Amino acid sequence: MSYYRLARFTLLPLGALLLVVLLWAGNGWSAAVLPSGLPQAELIRLGERMYRDGMLPSGAPMPAFIRGDVEVDSSAFSCSSCHLRAGLGSFEGGVVTPPTNGVKLYQPYRRPPSLDDIPDQTGRYIYAKTVLERPAYNRETLASAMRFGVDPAGQIFNDVMPRYPLSERDMSVLIDYLEALSSEPSPGATSKEFRFATIITDDVSPEDRQALLLPLQKFIDQKNQQLRMYQDFIKFGYSPTTEMKYAFRHASLDLWELKGAPESWPAQLAAYYHKKPVFAVLGGISNGDWRPIHDFCEEQRLPCLFPITDFPVVSETGWYSYYFNKGYFQEGEAVARYLNREESLPVEGEMLQIVEDSPQGKALAAGFQQSWGELERPALTTLTLSPRELADGKALSDVLTKYQPRLLLLWADAAVLPKLPALLGQLPGSAKVFLSSGYLGGKSATVPEGVRGKVYLSYPYRLTPFVGPKDGGFDAKVPILTTAKDFGDRRITSRSTTMLRQVALRGLNLLYDNLYREHLFDLMGMQMDLTVRDYERFSFGPGQRYVSKGCYIIQLGPGADPALLPRSEWVMH
Amino acid sequence: MKLPFQGKLALLLIALTLAALPADPARAEVRYKRSVEKYNIPDVLLINQDGKKVRIASLLNSGEPVIVDFIYGSCTTICPVLSAGFVNLQRRLGAQSQKVRLISITIDPEHDSPKILKDYLKRYRAQPGWDFLTGSRADIDAVMKAFNAYIPDKMSHYPINLIRDPRDGSWVRIFGLMSSREFLAEYQQVAPPSVSGLKP
Repeated sequence: MSYYRLARFTLLPLGALLLVVLLWAGNGWSAAVLPSGLPQAELIRLGERMYRDGMLPSGAPMPAFIRGDVEVDSSAFSCSSCHLRAGLGSFEGGVVTPPTNGVKLYQPYRRPPSLDDIPDQTGRYIYAKTVLERPAYNRETLASAMRFGVDPAGQIFNDVMPRYPLSERDMSVLIDYLEALSSEPSPGATSKEFRFATIITDDVSPEDRQALLLPLQKFIDQKNQQLRMYQDFIKFGYSPTTEMKYAFRHASLDLWELKGAPESWPAQLAAYYHKKPVFAVLGGISNGDWRPIHDFCEEQRLPCLFPITDFPVVSETGWYSYYFNKGYFQEGEAVARYLNREESLPVEGEMLQIVEDSPQGKALAAGFQQSWGELERPALTTLTLSPRELADGKALSDVLTKYQPRLLLLWADAAVLPKLPALLGQLPGSAKVFLSSGYLGGKSATVPEGVRGKVYLSYPYRLTPFVGPKDGGFDAKVPILTTAKDFGDRRITSRSTTMLRQVALRGLNLLYDNLYREHLFDLMGMQMDLTVRDYERFSFGPGQRYVSKGCYIIQLGPGADPALLPRSEWVMH
Repeated sequence: MKLPFQGKLALLLIALTLAALPADPARAEVRYKRSVEKYNIPDVLLINQDGKKVRIASLLNSGEPVIVDFIYGSCTTICPVLSAGFVNLQRRLGAQSQKVRLISITIDPEHDSPKILKDYLKRYRAQPGWDFLTGSRADIDAVMKAFNAYIPDKMSHYPINLIRDPRDGSWVRIFGLMSSREFLAEYQQVAPPSVSGLKP
């Protein structure tokens, strides 16, 4: 044993002894400070705050030390930032963090041996080793582990695990929480079955409905077919690997159809859910605001994976819904970021934002304004016009005559396109106008040729050719190139297929027997970036919920089938 | 003996620090890999936490010691440890913290907007002198490659600190995680004499 280790082993008990004396002398263990008087729900809430946010029950940050003497503030370095929300641990950046939920902690632990166990001072993983095995913890040894970084067998933890000098009371609250964490499988999943649902609102056309249900049903059928093959495999006497053991479960898909006013959706959703709880909502589609469904899923802690919606909820704290992107909001954001990079912008009074009084117009304006504000730009003059005012053209013409903008954001639908030459003719020669290809839809390519040099469109899909991994069909090896014909295509089938095959399935298979919804999010958040058909890139990360981060600004080339000319990168800051 | 909670906590911290530290730092295992390198960094334009465009060359060749790491805003595990190292170095240097330029470069440029970078620095209570940069993926890849630290996917990153000696432009490459004492000692090897005097 080196001096270093000897010193640590000698000083550790001394430190522990000193701690005991201090706490005892300070009456730290008196019954008066134990949290037993608090209701269970309050204890869990306080424990959850410690675990997730690194905040003590008192509201102060949890003190912590790493690498011997590096003091860290737990509000930036909470338990869940490494062991994740479900407490099942993580693997990221070469660091394995073991599980921290009571169910796992109170059992002996042995991780599979790894090549990285070979002692190698210069090796890449030397900083990231975890213990190979340990005995079961109890409350006392767990408290020692968190205070001193030592397991029940006396093994010292990896340096990246902080040491938490918690009082007895606070430690008790945290351990109570760990005992409750991921202790019961989530509803809708058993060792034999996954139950899913998808959500369709009554404003969706039969074609769009079919475009969604087709890949979903195919996915479910494939899961069940694979299960039958697996059962045959076992019947013939083969032994399954660990991965196989957990990869095959029966799957079912319920259709939750929502009718009538969105205010009535929560009750309809609750009725479906309580009748037959599901583990997750796979996809879904609505032409309207997704918020009522988003809020229901947050409330029920129910995963909702990649619905087809242009109106996702844009939130930094929402946890239970994954979206492809921020929809119209993201297009508005992209225009703000593009303009922010312009070397010479018109002065404040020469920029005008016209918003059609519609959900699309408002979402585009909201994205622009939020991003513009974050860029510390002064607010633009913004006018809201009704669809009728925009359609007859006079109101719009009057506005432009009055303001004479050199930069115009026109968040309107395609009805405005034929009037663009006349409208732009009223403006200074250098004027530019920005519109949303999402809102213009299939008619985006009909921007009159004479003004295409002045018209810029936000475009949130892939422009570089996509080459799939296999021949034929969805995965075609022949490069797929986006053209003007793709304007207005909601890509319901291709996006849903991507979601199922490249994202959701991976997360579900990695759950093994840890059937917790929080764990599904933890696993999906650790995925590597993906190149997908409809977007340039999907990227993940803990808490990130909008996987496609980009949106181009493009112009149109000449002709009826114009080239799409990128004027920006995929992602701008 | 009746101590206020803060008093108990202070004593507790001392006890833990004693327990966790080696008896003789000189004999402590060095658990990071150190080498001295020469790099030729392309002069790309990146964006800092205030949304300002910055030329990487002007940051690196400032005539002061520079320390670079690669992290990202929503990272678990390594980045918080690296960032805790930065903030502790600033704390240890106290009034002299401006005598080192700390530069974190994101490896998740699609997600890490200037706002996210700014929030991150605020969360770590960073002092002036610590910049967090984003930019285009191509430019950041070029910088990583020039430092021989290319990370193709953020989920497979590793801890590296690169410390520039302003006297000859060489870089100390640290692979692994340092204690704040080790970090200060490494910095002092390239620091101006007034800072070198601080006790690790």
